[in-house]
Amino acid sequence: MTEGKEATLEELFAEIDGILERMEGKDISLEDSFLLYEEGMKKLRLCNAKIDRVEKKMLVINAQGTLDEMT
Amino acid sequence: MKPQAYSVSQINAYVKAMFAQDFMLKRVCVKGEVSNCKYHSSGHIYFTVKDEKAAIAAVMFAGSRGGLSFPMREGDKVLVSGSIEVYERDGRYQLYAKEIEKDGEGSLYLKYEALKRALLEMGMFAEEYKKPIPGYIQTLGVVTAPTGAAVQDIRTIAKRRNPYVQLILYPAQVQGEGAAESIVNGIRALDAHGVDAIIVGRGGGSIEDLWAFNEEIVARAVFECETPVISAVGHETDTTIVDFVADLRAPTPSAAAELAVCDVSELLDELNLRLLRLRQSAAWKKEAARSHLEQLAKLLALHAPFHRLNEKRQRIVDAQERLTVQMERKIADGRYRIGLLAGRLDGVSPAKKLSQGFVFVTDAKQERVGSVSNVQEGDLLRLHLKDGVIDAAVQGVTVYAEEGQKG
Repeated sequence: MTEGKEATLEELFAEIDGILERMEGKDISLEDSFLLYEEGMKKLRLCNAKIDRVEKKMLVINAQGTLDEMT
Repeated sequence: MKPQAYSVSQINAYVKAMFAQDFMLKRVCVKGEVSNCKYHSSGHIYFTVKDEKAAIAAVMFAGSRGGLSFPMREGDKVLVSGSIEVYERDGRYQLYAKEIEKDGEGSLYLKYEALKRALLEMGMFAEEYKKPIPGYIQTLGVVTAPTGAAVQDIRTIAKRRNPYVQLILYPAQVQGEGAAESIVNGIRALDAHGVDAIIVGRGGGSIEDLWAFNEEIVARAVFECETPVISAVGHETDTTIVDFVADLRAPTPSAAAELAVCDVSELLDELNLRLLRLRQSAAWKKEAARSHLEQLAKLLALHAPFHRLNEKRQRIVDAQERLTVQMERKIADGRYRIGLLAGRLDGVSPAKKLSQGFVFVTDAKQERVGSVSNVQEGDLLRLHLKDGVIDAAVQGVTVYAEEGQKG
């Protein structure tokens, strides 16, 4: 895995869904709901940052692990 | 002398009968390679069995398809069991297949079966070893030939679904001598480099062409790979050992790309949806809190001291009003009674009496004199008349006899 400990998009989505579920629950205080909102927005920003929106060119790898542009 | 002439139908019928009498042609097994294989929509399979020197037309009718347990294709080495009969209309004979088997002791097919069984027994196909393919990959490794259709298909589909995914190709040799080693190196290089998933595959071909994907070293490399592997070998109908070991089997390289690369527009939609929900639920919560607050404020105002003071004030005003009304009623009542009494009083008014000539007498202490017994000669009296007073001194006092006494 390239990211090491950093959460994957999938994990972030799951976390956001968890936050939403809690926010949409009945027994949540306003303070908690603000905190959760902040947290959710932060995670959404992380998700967006992960989709870096730069088109990639195909790379070629050799047995030694060296990368090169596809010719 | 010329021999007798027969019609074509007669001759063909005769030859057909000759074949039919032959014990060996009734049940025969022919060994050869399949070519010109056509699957007809009716379910019949038309093909040719050939060796280096000769060929024979063959057909397997739909009703006999149970005798074929593998997807037969061009170049397959087969043993065909059936009968050889004449097709009268064309004057041709052909092999009517009842059963078709892969040919030969030590054939690739048998090797495949043996390895499959061995790896299955070792548990290498077990579900518990299958790693899930991440839902949103950012880098995708591809082990396939750099020039084939497979890499183009993967590239096209990956780009269409998500152009931001980084594809890294290991240009492998996928068939012939050294193919298995090349594929193994590709898997290891990509696993070591670090990608989110790896597609291992190639386009369709004969069992020989696909053979590298049935080699044990390739199967082991896939099994040991830390990164999830999607196999994509040949067509839907080709199943290689690698397909069993892989974490996910895709029927074709295109399908593998579909499975590996998520649709970025869908992903962005999902993100937006969550953003909306997040905002909405925060706004809703805020609104709920606000309305709760308003409700509390109302309640508080209702119980506030000044509100109670107002209430008391109101009660005072009410009481005052009631008091006034009561008072006015009493006063009116009193007035009425005064009027009545005044009328009556008027009837007995001393003033009236005075105007008739009576006199009202007071003594020096301003007290009424009602009897002569209180008066002595020389006392000063005041006589009240209708239009004034007379001060007089008593010159004499006469007491009437008893019967003349009046109060």
